[in-house]
Amino acid sequence: MNEELDSQLSAMFDNELPAAECELLARRLSRDEDLKGRWSRYAAISATIRAEGGMRLNSNLAVRVNNVISAEPAVVTKAIEPVRQRPQKVVPRWLMPIGGVALAASVAAAAILVLRYESPLPRVAQTVPATTATTQTLVAKSTAPAALDSYTVPKTLPRRSIVPSTQLANYVVAHSEFSSPVNRRNLLSAFMASESGTAGVPSGSDEPTEDVTDDAKSPR
Amino acid sequence: MSADVSDLSLVRRVQGGDKGAFDALVRKYQHKLVKLVMRYVRNPAEAEDIAQEAFIKAYRALPQFRGDSAFYTWLYRIAINTAKNAVVSRDRSPIEYNIDRSSDAAEESYDMQGRMKDSETPEGLVLTDEIRRTVNAAIEALPEDLKTAIVLRELDGLSYEEIAAAMDCPVGTVRSRIFRAREAIDRRLREVFEGGLGRTEDLA
Repeated sequence: MNEELDSQLSAMFDNELPAAECELLARRLSRDEDLKGRWSRYAAISATIRAEGGMRLNSNLAVRVNNVISAEPAVVTKAIEPVRQRPQKVVPRWLMPIGGVALAASVAAAAILVLRYESPLPRVAQTVPATTATTQTLVAKSTAPAALDSYTVPKTLPRRSIVPSTQLANYVVAHSEFSSPVNRRNLLSAFMASESGTAGVPSGSDEPTEDVTDDAKSPR
Repeated sequence: MSADVSDLSLVRRVQGGDKGAFDALVRKYQHKLVKLVMRYVRNPAEAEDIAQEAFIKAYRALPQFRGDSAFYTWLYRIAINTAKNAVVSRDRSPIEYNIDRSSDAAEESYDMQGRMKDSETPEGLVLTDEIRRTVNAAIEALPEDLKTAIVLRELDGLSYEEIAAAMDCPVGTVRSRIFRAREAIDRRLREVFEGGLGRTEDLA
């Protein structure tokens, strides 16, 4: 064994060898049994000089530890490459624009459905029979436009203003023989619109407060 | 230079799956660790068992060691905790070990047991009186500059740079002196034990 190598080993034992040399020597030390033997003797000499004697040190300790460790799997090197090796959720690049389009389409579809559901005009056209219950439902919807996602039964307001008057009822009955169903429906709708425009509850408000005043104003 | 650079290079090798590098660390620190554990348990056999457990715990925990502290500092903490736990569990057990009473008979018993085990490896005899005498004689026989360098290093724990300042010489000279002192002592030890301390076929 050459003297330079032994000198390096001595310096390495004292943690005084430059890092680059340490890397090479550590590799050799872990495999070279002669070098390990010398390393062990350096440790023994050091312990003796420091008077770490006085006890009976059975140096089978290193052999026993080695036997246990030999039966174990080698440790993994996560500590050497800490952050970069962390597993990440991998989403294919090609999937990202498709996902964006799909998201935009679903939002658009939801918006269309909600708008159609909320629009009062088709409902009015379809619920022609001029019953009190139907008109109350329609008015209630127009007063609560914000309820988009869920339906709640609106308060029943004591209003007479949106109930077709006797005059209108008589008119419809009188002309029903001569008018088509579509015309009757249009007439009724127009009347109801005029009623709500002059005497109905303010659109968008939830406060049922002005019924009496509205009644006084409404043309009967 | 980092004070722990050589230990760290061995640690990195262990973390890369090289078990032989951990063997080198065990050989380097086994004496220190047993001495440390002996503060808690005065039975040498028990101290060895605890030191063994501490080394194995350290090996298993090495993937989490990042080198923020010195390896021995980290190992030291593991050994202290292992020793404390061992003392607690021993105190709970009904078996008592009377260290004072054991000073003669039990020590002798352990001595015999130890010598039987020692026959398996010459390194096991390292701290017997004979070895201590040999080492002391070898140190006394050293030239003054070598003796001063090795004593400042081993007994006073000075770095090469501090020794260089104290001895008014370059760091390279200190390194050379310490190496030559170790070689001289090792030569005497190998003469005593013929096959050589730490002989590989015995350690394997």
